Amino acid sequence: MRRILRPTVRAALLTAAAAIVAVAAFAPLRGASLKFYRDDPLAREPESADAAHVARQQIDLLPDLMLNLFVPPGDLEKNVRARDINTIDEVPDSSWFTNRIYAQPLTVEDVTRGPNADPGPAPGRWTITAAKVVGFAPGFTMRDSRGVTWFVEMDPKGYPHASTAAVAVAVRLFWALGYNQVESYLATFKRSDLDIDPKATVSPRPWRKRALRKSDLVRAFETAQREKDGSYRAFVGRLIPGKIVGPFKYFGTRVDDPNDLVPHEHRRSLRALRVFGAWVNLNDMKAGNTLDSVVEENGRHRVVHYLQDVGSTFGAGGAGPREWDEGYEYVYQASPMVKRLVTIGFDLSPWQTIPYKVLPEVGRFEGDHFDPETWVPRIPTAAFLRARDDDNFWAALRVAAFTDEQVRAVVHTGEFEDPAAEKLLGDILIKRRDKIARAYLPKLTPLTRFALANGTLTFENAATQYAGLPEPDGGYRAEWFEFDNATGATTRVIGETTSKTPSLVAPVGVPGLPAADGAFLKVALTAPDSKHPTWSHPVEVYFRRTAGAWTLVGVERLADGAPGSSSPSSPLNTEK
Amino acid sequence: MPTPLIPRAITAFLAALCILGPAIASAQDTREGIIIAQQTDKAAHPPPETLTKPEIVVGYIGRFLQPKPRGFFPVFDSVYAGGSVTLGGGYGWAYGDKGSFAVRGLYSIKNYKLFDVLTNSPGHMNGHLTLFGTAGWRNATDAAFYGLGMGASLGDRSDFDFKESYARGNAELRPGDWVVFKGSVGLEAYEIGPSGTHDQSVEGSLTPDQAPGVGADPTYIHSRATAGIDTRTSPGYSRSGGYYGATIHNFTNTNGPYDFNRVEGEAIQHIPILRETWVLSFRGKVESTLGNDMSDTPYFLLPSLGSGSSLRAYTSWRFRDRHSLLTQAEFRWIPNRLGMDMAVFYDAGKVAPRFDGLSFKGMAHDWGVGLRFHGPSFTPLRLEVARGSEGVNFVFSGNAAF
Repeated sequence: MRRILRPTVRAALLTAAAAIVAVAAFAPLRGASLKFYRDDPLAREPESADAAHVARQQIDLLPDLMLNLFVPPGDLEKNVRARDINTIDEVPDSSWFTNRIYAQPLTVEDVTRGPNADPGPAPGRWTITAAKVVGFAPGFTMRDSRGVTWFVEMDPKGYPHASTAAVAVAVRLFWALGYNQVESYLATFKRSDLDIDPKATVSPRPWRKRALRKSDLVRAFETAQREKDGSYRAFVGRLIPGKIVGPFKYFGTRVDDPNDLVPHEHRRSLRALRVFGAWVNLNDMKAGNTLDSVVEENGRHRVVHYLQDVGSTFGAGGAGPREWDEGYEYVYQASPMVKRLVTIGFDLSPWQTIPYKVLPEVGRFEGDHFDPETWVPRIPTAAFLRARDDDNFWAALRVAAFTDEQVRAVVHTGEFEDPAAEKLLGDILIKRRDKIARAYLPKLTPLTRFALANGTLTFENAATQYAGLPEPDGGYRAEWFEFDNATGATTRVIGETTSKTPSLVAPVGVPGLPAADGAFLKVALTAPDSKHPTWSHPVEVYFRRTAGAWTLVGVERLADGAPGSSSPSSPLNTEK
Repeated sequence: MPTPLIPRAITAFLAALCILGPAIASAQDTREGIIIAQQTDKAAHPPPETLTKPEIVVGYIGRFLQPKPRGFFPVFDSVYAGGSVTLGGGYGWAYGDKGSFAVRGLYSIKNYKLFDVLTNSPGHMNGHLTLFGTAGWRNATDAAFYGLGMGASLGDRSDFDFKESYARGNAELRPGDWVVFKGSVGLEAYEIGPSGTHDQSVEGSLTPDQAPGVGADPTYIHSRATAGIDTRTSPGYSRSGGYYGATIHNFTNTNGPYDFNRVEGEAIQHIPILRETWVLSFRGKVESTLGNDMSDTPYFLLPSLGSGSSLRAYTSWRFRDRHSLLTQAEFRWIPNRLGMDMAVFYDAGKVAPRFDGLSFKGMAHDWGVGLRFHGPSFTPLRLEVARGSEGVNFVFSGNAAF
């Protein structure tokens, strides 16, 4: 061999072999897969690859509805732990989600301002650039005197303020919950304030686009609610920045977005919409109400994901009050359908009998009979169906974090004409918020916000704080372990401590807590309570010793694959 | 001087370690590094779009049902009452903002045939006016005639071969939310001949007293005007509201006698109960041929009862005469708001030679149960079984009962 190969070739082979050996030398470490990396917990989901080439995708309504109603799309494996969470069981900031309420202090001003960065459309005449052809609410697209493009939607005739107020309020709530929202304002205008751009277009059919005529707008104004002074009230939403590339699905990933690695059904930020949707009765969760946009930042492109249309909330939609069964049944659901069929309709569902206090500006929305665990949107989404108790717990924390003052302040931005309507909507949202807290926070050991300093572990009991439950009758119990990050094993039992309050002193005496930098500590926390057996299942909390202090690096409430799903069933299942 | 092999391998190993080490270490030491590596890999090797078989099938069905500028479509309609199971197809294309044009063909298992062209142009006058036009030809080879009046028995059945060529234009104006006006003018050329499928044929075996207009092949200019109040959500499917309307027809024969006029009055009311858990639906319809000349209206154009939209347990065209009265009541329950209704129903009807003969005495009646598959504004499939004094009848229809 040595005689056959020339020295250069032989050197190359040697180098290659050495490289393989070098890589192999690191392989065991890679294979060992450290439980915690040195940058854990991630505060932001990396989006490193350039997404400039993401193409516009179209998701047609009918296939989308049929797919979600009749085929469970996406990963069918059950009880999969969310994959967009970091090691402390939180969702890092990303192009999908930004931590706001609960994660950071928000003032009343913050939540009422929401996504709005400026005062809204500039004063002056509006120039219509396109007619609205999608959705029920009458509207159009216009350019204000500054040249900024806005989407305008009016209230349907006969239902003053209901639809526009719903959008104004819902946009702020969903912004505070962490979602990308369109800048949105309420405005009033008269038809005499409008011009039509000579280049304005309308697409009466998906395949047809032509110049906009005045007559195209007549029907929109005929079906819109006109105020007593002849003006129209409208919700005005700013054009989303960037290159619009169509909606996203609630399952799978975009194959052409290199940063989109986590199947959407396994994103907690999307699973959580089931809880958030239940709170505000966001029924219309189809792909068509989402929108992706490619934005450029520092020369690199990334896709930003919007919940585009959150106006299908509360008790009224773009065409008037909600259908009676909305929020209670999918548009197709086998079990209640069969029951009604064979019982001649006498097997009554809750929506058929619950009383509503109906005010025109609020519609059919109530809190007394609301059950967050049985609430469903019109169409099931893959993400909702995969939601586990830890996802719902995470979401419920955010809903529960809204104070009464914040809720009422956000509702006030709806500019209701009837003060009773404003009060009613605020009351209902507060009731539904409290029901969500009581439903989901006690399902798991409800301990959060862990910190270890000066030998004392402090935390909060979310069930006592937000759901009004008493302290656990068995107190709090912690088992302390030294933890080997490389092997994932507990190497030493340090001790066990208990307390009646959410504060536990570390075991004292020899050997005590590890003191070396880089050491890891695992604490298994329980809150035994006779009324909540699940609270005896430990929350495992991990700390890393860094610069003489303990840093929270891990929280595990529910293991991957562990049963823990309180999500509604698929419409094809027989039981709701 | 060549370097010995082992030291050279060590040198290469160290060199490779220096080059690859940081990258590997970076990737393994940080979670961000791992994710970035995965994103880099996806950017370099974009995965193919993968769909499961059910996803492919549902996607195909969904795309098939999506509105398209042109294409073939199935047709579930009737050629002529009594044609039994009928299937067809068409090719349609869209024009303008909302208009459509279609060419259709239908064929029934009783050899009934229809070919027509249709155009529908809604959205005029700011959405208040809809124009509709159609032209076509149809042939019912085995149309039934049982004689006049309620006394006609099943055993008196005669048949005829019915051919009609037609062209008509319709306009529907809805100036407000509830008011509706309709008008149409059309040319209808009838060609009636003996049927070869049964022993007794109307043509040639019945007299004009028994079958007015027998032997005639009139060509009518048929004008129609309707005024009504319509508070239903849609004529094709509704659970609330009502319709109250009157229609007048004028048939002017261009090639002989048999001119006649007819008026119709129709009232429909849907009464939802407990948030549309149940619906009580009622319909009353009167048709009256004007004038007292018993021979001015051909037998095949007389008001009739029997078939899937009137007396549902009775065969098509079971009762004919110059005047008719139909009453229907349904108790409906709604297993699924967007897709399925059930109903038990009761029909009662009567025909009479004179208007004052229309009374609630001597009516034929039936009852039955039905299953309807519907959309928000249409009923593409209605399956019913009805029982009356002459037995059981099954109804397969592509339209709402009323």
